[in-house]
Amino acid sequence: MWIRTVDRPTLSEKTADYNRFSGNDMFALYRPLKTQRDGAGSFEAEQASMAKRVMAWIAEKKPGYSLPDIQLSEGAWTVMHSTKPGSGLLSWTRISVRTPGELGTPRHTAPPAEMANTVKAAARLYGAGLVGITPMNEAYVNLQAPRENEKEKDKEIVFEDVDAPSVSDTRFVIPKKMKWVVVIAIPMDLDLLSRVPTALGDAASALGYSHSAFVVSSLAEFIRGLGYEAIPCVNDTAQSVPFALDAGIGELGRLNKLVTPEFGPSVRLCKVFTDLPMACDKPIDFGLVEFCKRCKKCADACPSRALSFDDEPSFKTRGPWNNPGHKAWFEDSYKCLEYWQKSNSACGICLVSCPYTKGNEAWVHEGVKATASIAPVADPVFRIMDNAFGYGKQRDPEQWWTQDSPSGRKG
Amino acid sequence: MTRGADVFTVTIRKRTGWFWGLAGLWLLLEVLFVQTAVASVGEGEHRAATISWIVVGLLAAFACFAWLRRGGPRKRGHSSGQQQEASISD
Repeated sequence: MWIRTVDRPTLSEKTADYNRFSGNDMFALYRPLKTQRDGAGSFEAEQASMAKRVMAWIAEKKPGYSLPDIQLSEGAWTVMHSTKPGSGLLSWTRISVRTPGELGTPRHTAPPAEMANTVKAAARLYGAGLVGITPMNEAYVNLQAPRENEKEKDKEIVFEDVDAPSVSDTRFVIPKKMKWVVVIAIPMDLDLLSRVPTALGDAASALGYSHSAFVVSSLAEFIRGLGYEAIPCVNDTAQSVPFALDAGIGELGRLNKLVTPEFGPSVRLCKVFTDLPMACDKPIDFGLVEFCKRCKKCADACPSRALSFDDEPSFKTRGPWNNPGHKAWFEDSYKCLEYWQKSNSACGICLVSCPYTKGNEAWVHEGVKATASIAPVADPVFRIMDNAFGYGKQRDPEQWWTQDSPSGRKG
Repeated sequence: MTRGADVFTVTIRKRTGWFWGLAGLWLLLEVLFVQTAVASVGEGEHRAATISWIVVGLLAAFACFAWLRRGGPRKRGHSSGQQQEASISD
């Protein structure tokens, strides 16, 4: 009841500047920007000092950076690191599933609403926390895939009137008939995430990525098995957040990330493009934008001061990592990534500090979210209560290995 | 009722709607905070659990106090022969 469906996502205003993003996110931009700001060799010096620091922290068994802590995260990355866009698990063509033709049957057909339910049920089985379906919007698809190294040529992403998707050394081709996008949110392990910013806490994010790769590849194979084309993507190929907004998975928050009513921003997003006709979902409004205007807890908690303190979202971007032409609380990703280097971690404090990031066991959380949705006047009280109850504080990294936690490590 | 009194007056007061409303609210808050306390332990939110248990205790203490004072302040100095009054709650 408190999650209302709406015709357009909140903060959906766009200008003529809104175009397909270059695909060069902060990871691609950090090195040239660092060199430009701090001089030649500054990036390399920072990397070397980071490597030394990690070794020293391992040796001194710094909480959250012991060898088991670091390797827990490395282990969690395994599935994601064993693939890359267009190949392996994220292959744009069939991996091993038998086609309907091989089983002597025509491809599966059903009314769009039934087809949507079928696909959502499969996605949930594979591990999706939230699933939504939205029409393809070419403006959300990146212009090119990020280069894996500086010697590699740009690989453009294009839409063409072809039957099947294809990947070559220079191009990623998406068939124009792929008019549907299944958007999936994978919740991260909140107990583990609460140990950030440490290498141990990073395991939550790493595991989220690996789960994402597993879920989208399984779902793509399922769709291909029904007789349709499917392209599985994690962060690659397109901007996940606008698709997720359109699919009603959540709203855009002050962190400039998707915030879901169920898990807050502590989710990983992934998606599957397909030509399987399905009924689409509508965007949602659960009062987040009004809440974010008053709360600012994530901006206060951010150690690098990368998040906006502006009362209102605006069109004013903070750097080339932001895609202009839409309204948001834009973040300074350079400051954010610089802190990642200093802390030898992927941080994530903003994700944990958000009052919407909560476990789902206590009924009171649901009540608070519902009240915030219906009566925004109470929002400042909820921010105060959130602090008073101690939510969003870093948990002891050392304790994770020995406690009986909600992660299910009992026994 | 008091021993030795010549006359007993038994006043039966019907609980008002306000009483039942407040009792219902109290019960709702008790259940909510007990659930929050138990769930917070499960979620690893120890501070939230502690605060919730404190609220549960305060609510219980308030209820005990209200129960003991249910008939209002007790009359003192009764003596034999005086008219006595006692309340029986329904």
